[in-house]
Amino acid sequence: MHGEYKIPGGKLVVIDLNVTDGALRDVVLSGDFFLEPAEALEWMAAALEGLPADTPVETIAARVRDAATHAELLGITPEGVAEAVRRALQGGAQ
Amino acid sequence: MSTQSSSPWRAYDWQLIQSAPITPIMHMALDEALLEEVAAGRRPPTLRIWEWAASAVVIGRFQSLRNEVDLDNARRYGVQVVRRITGGGAMFIEPGNTITYSIYAPVDLVAGMSTVESYAFCDRWVLDALASLGVEAWYQPINDITSAAGKIGGAAQTRRNGAVLHHVTMAYDIDSARMMEVLRIGREKLSDKGIASAAKRVDPLRRQTGLPRTAIIERMIDTFRTQHGLTDSSITPEEWQIAGQLVETKFGTEEWLRTVP
Repeated sequence: MHGEYKIPGGKLVVIDLNVTDGALRDVVLSGDFFLEPAEALEWMAAALEGLPADTPVETIAARVRDAATHAELLGITPEGVAEAVRRALQGGAQ
Repeated sequence: MSTQSSSPWRAYDWQLIQSAPITPIMHMALDEALLEEVAAGRRPPTLRIWEWAASAVVIGRFQSLRNEVDLDNARRYGVQVVRRITGGGAMFIEPGNTITYSIYAPVDLVAGMSTVESYAFCDRWVLDALASLGVEAWYQPINDITSAAGKIGGAAQTRRNGAVLHHVTMAYDIDSARMMEVLRIGREKLSDKGIASAAKRVDPLRRQTGLPRTAIIERMIDTFRTQHGLTDSSITPEEWQIAGQLVETKFGTEEWLRTVP
């Protein structure tokens, strides 16, 4: 499943994932944003792995924010990641 | 070294590197190697002007390879696909159509600035060079160099061990049809730009200046030299060796290219 969200004034946030037994799996976060350090990409994706597919977007955003506490995010926000996840789950269509 | 100047640039003995055309993958490796050398204090702050030996798609550190690149078309047209160490978006490079440069500096150069501010700061001299050629360009945060007629280029930064890499690619000319064949540009990306076609977003410097590509590069170098000082330099044998190793161990590997599948 695939979801994209263009952050207003920021960058494109893309989520690719599968849902297995009601949980998010194989989550890949990508886009043309900036992160320091680069490892923050994996931190944020790992925070989504295994989450129940019916997790509220606010909770998803909070998980991402916690994961990125020690990172600098530019052009990407935890809320934007959560929105991309919501779009992926909703339709998968681009 | 001016003692009176308030310009942070003038605190450094800037070096200029202009080398013969090299492969896209070696460019990726050189950026990391030279950033580390400046971070370690073995190389003074440096401006490097790139010459490309082949067409390329350069994707950002955090972009998905399969989402951004049509690999079949890239192979068909002999376009090399590489991943860089900075974030930002995919670029389609053709050697004669592109002006690319890197700045490697201690982070002190941009001390006290936000990251967004530092982007515009690092390219102020370029905007001045373009203005002297009659192109009124400005910074559109976060990282775009743009003009009334359209986007001209984009910048990207990363930081490592107290040093910053700031690199920029500007369109001298553009083969929009070919670009659309090798890049996958989704509608969502353009949704808040209010423009239907990615190709229309770019207005290259050739059309805006009518000048040869080399003349624009010369003016850029002259402007940097006048504003900040610049000493001719070259890539040392040791730096070539470090970069060559990085091609083998990192930038030339499938693991790196597909680090975000």
